[in-house]
Amino acid sequence: MAEKSYRDAIRDAMMEEMDRDANVLIMGEDIGVYEGTFRITAGMLKKYGPKRVIDTPIAEAGMVGTAVGMAMLGLRPIVEMMTMNFAIVAADQILNHAAKVRYFSGGQVDVPMVIRGPQGAGVQLSAQHSQTFESFYAHFPGLKVVAPATPADAKGLLKSSIRGRDPVIFLESAALYGMKGEVPDDADFTVPFGVSRIAREGSDVTIVSYSRMLQMSLIAAEKLAEEGIECEVIDLRTLRPLDLDPACDSVAKTHRCVVVQEQWKPFGAAAEIAASITENVFDELDAPVARVTGEDVPMPYARNLELLATPHEQHVIAAVKKVMYANG
Amino acid sequence: MAEIIMPKMGDAMTEGKVVRWYKKAGDVVKKGEPVLEIETDKVNLDLEADQDGTLGDVAAEAGKMVEVGGVLATILGAGEKAQPKKEVAAAPAAEEAPARRAIDKKDSIKHSTGEYGEAIDMKGPRIDRTAAASSATPATGDNGRRRSSPLARKMARELGVSIEQVQGSGPGGRIIANDIKNFKPASAAPQKAKAPSLPPLQQLETKEIPLTAMRRTIAKRLAESTGPIPHFYLTAEYDVTNLLSLREQVNEISGIKTSVNDFIVRAAALALRHHPSVNASWGDEAITQHGEIHIGIAVSTPEGLITPVVRNADQKSVTDIANEVRSLADKAKNRKLTPNDYQGSTFTISNLGAWGIEQFTAIINPPNVAILAIGAASAQPVVIDRQVVIRDRMKVTMSCDHRVVDGALGAEYLRTLRSYIEQPVRLVL
Repeated sequence: MAEKSYRDAIRDAMMEEMDRDANVLIMGEDIGVYEGTFRITAGMLKKYGPKRVIDTPIAEAGMVGTAVGMAMLGLRPIVEMMTMNFAIVAADQILNHAAKVRYFSGGQVDVPMVIRGPQGAGVQLSAQHSQTFESFYAHFPGLKVVAPATPADAKGLLKSSIRGRDPVIFLESAALYGMKGEVPDDADFTVPFGVSRIAREGSDVTIVSYSRMLQMSLIAAEKLAEEGIECEVIDLRTLRPLDLDPACDSVAKTHRCVVVQEQWKPFGAAAEIAASITENVFDELDAPVARVTGEDVPMPYARNLELLATPHEQHVIAAVKKVMYANG
Repeated sequence: MAEIIMPKMGDAMTEGKVVRWYKKAGDVVKKGEPVLEIETDKVNLDLEADQDGTLGDVAAEAGKMVEVGGVLATILGAGEKAQPKKEVAAAPAAEEAPARRAIDKKDSIKHSTGEYGEAIDMKGPRIDRTAAASSATPATGDNGRRRSSPLARKMARELGVSIEQVQGSGPGGRIIANDIKNFKPASAAPQKAKAPSLPPLQQLETKEIPLTAMRRTIAKRLAESTGPIPHFYLTAEYDVTNLLSLREQVNEISGIKTSVNDFIVRAAALALRHHPSVNASWGDEAITQHGEIHIGIAVSTPEGLITPVVRNADQKSVTDIANEVRSLADKAKNRKLTPNDYQGSTFTISNLGAWGIEQFTAIINPPNVAILAIGAASAQPVVIDRQVVIRDRMKVTMSCDHRVVDGALGAEYLRTLRSYIEQPVRLVL
């Protein structure tokens, strides 16, 4: 084990897999000579050369289309999006090609590729560059959608993504890049898809979240513990496949549930999670499943407004008290 | 005159704090000049003057909390005088809504945050159905249904608590798990003591009601029964907690609404297979034991009692019995039964549980030699392993024709029936 940042854990995962398998390569905008807008790819061009670390033009549809072709013929491309907001340009390549090729080929052709990059608010990038996309991609069969909350999961899940048979949307939280945590050194350390984990044990309320909101929920849980309320916090890790068994087991114990997401409330991941929990453990619920979400507005640039528009631990605390009927 | 009011700065904001005043009453203020600083749970910000003028009333001192929309200060135009507070409060009707006025200024933080506040106000359902209504609200919806959480209902079922008697403490009077946990029955009165509603008053008159063919038959056959048949009665009390739970599962999985009686029909039929001498008829020369088990079920109709027959009930599943009984009862109520539907029973069950009767004795339906009278199941305190627990109990009284069924045989039959009813998995094996 060593203490690593989320950023370094992602780079380590890619470099270990590039060392392990010559078919793994990475392409993206400003990832080579400039070493990445968020410095994820620092040192990689020097080590692997321009055939495996490819600087592309500003052409996301072209990047993803190229990667789909590479993957169909046996390579394992990683496409870095400068932010996941830019991947919207490549939506047809992702949704109608990467996600459909195995189906259309009757299972003959896999598309083992990873599209990764940062998303989310919190770093004053305004309305077009602060969005989150997990519910958008998780809607489509044929894709895997990953949203790690810790450096260890970032590494283990990215290695599973690179080694797998599927096109993976790997959603990094821009606000977590500097976060540090213990990361296993083992070159074969991977984290499987579709296995949620209990990030904190508790008996009073179940909080279900992922990515940056998981970290925020843990802070809220610590503050609530000072008031004598013990929250069990579930980290979903992957949105597709979605493992809600630990969440349902937890709700059967706590009888109360809060789902926390950064994105907008309507049709978001929390809506799917809350509905599934209600379907599965209806008789265990003592209060409606509560959602904590971002405000339903394009993300403002101004710092104070950005703070108002994104979920804060105070919102989680208020929601937990609401489902406990503890608001007086 | 203009007012400076406490703006709504977020969904959760209900009040804000006055941090300090930059101006005091009587000071001249210019349009756009900051007048005071407020603090919300998220940000501190300055509120500015909407127009040139003199600061009039300062309604809230520094350090005070003011609710959203509350007046913080007035700004008087040239020649205007401070008005008593009452009139200030009464005035806005004729003017623009105050919530808008505080944000009616371009290119200021008030403007952008105000619009933001509006955007928040517009989201979600127009009727906030999640809002915490006062718990004084009656805990019933429009149709009289009690509001309760799923967990509370599950706990009520398991503990045998009647949810009608529980006072809800959640929003809108919702009954939550804690309410069930803390519930204590008001008195020793039975829990299902709903205020009994009286049947409608009838016109009193002297009249002769001609005997129908049906009434004649009932009279003749039952008189025959108590006359020549030496009756005796055996009563047993069964624990039906498991049976009620099995029934819920059967209903859920099969989608067929079975009744407790359907289970008893099957149980009684299966128990007869152990005691064929109860499945019999008296004759002057011989007792006939029947090779098949046909259970008669007493059904009340507007005209009177009739006992349609479930044939070979020991070979039918509970759901088959449920379907058949429902169809027979419908036919009986519509007088559509054919003789084949109501003749040939070998054993009969009469159930007055639905009327809340705890225990009764039924008259044997000849040529049967026994009948079961089933009472209502009710939650009762019972001692198990030296602990008082709440279980559902049901009393069954068997009337026997002593010419055929002796006391010990009747008792054996009821003991067998107990095994089927208290271990109801036997009914589906």
